[in-house]
Amino acid sequence: MAEVKSMTGLSEEEAQEFHGIFVQSMTGFLGVAAFAHLLAWLWRPWL
Amino acid sequence: MYKLWQLFDPRRSLMTLFSFLMALALFIHLVLLMSADFNWLTTSKAVAPVSQMSAMPPARNIN
Repeated sequence: MAEVKSMTGLSEEEAQEFHGIFVQSMTGFLGVAAFAHLLAWLWRPWL
Repeated sequence: MYKLWQLFDPRRSLMTLFSFLMALALFIHLVLLMSADFNWLTTSKAVAPVSQMSAMPPARNIN
């Protein structure tokens, strides 16, 4: 039986794999951004 | 949550997200550069506002 394809053509496995990389990258980006904001706050608090 | 990528095309989603984040970052950086207080390139020229200065002590007379 052929695998049922989704709207984007991704199988469940592929979607899961992409999601893992996406979340990991987003976490890294947010971490760097948070650190940059911390440095900026120490330099000159804006509130 | 991962089923999101069976609804939204990952390639288009990533391009949209990157474009949005880049535009937002550029916008915020330019706004900060145009402000007097948060321009990090002219920090050395920044002078403390008058409200943060203290008055000179009264002069002493020796004679």
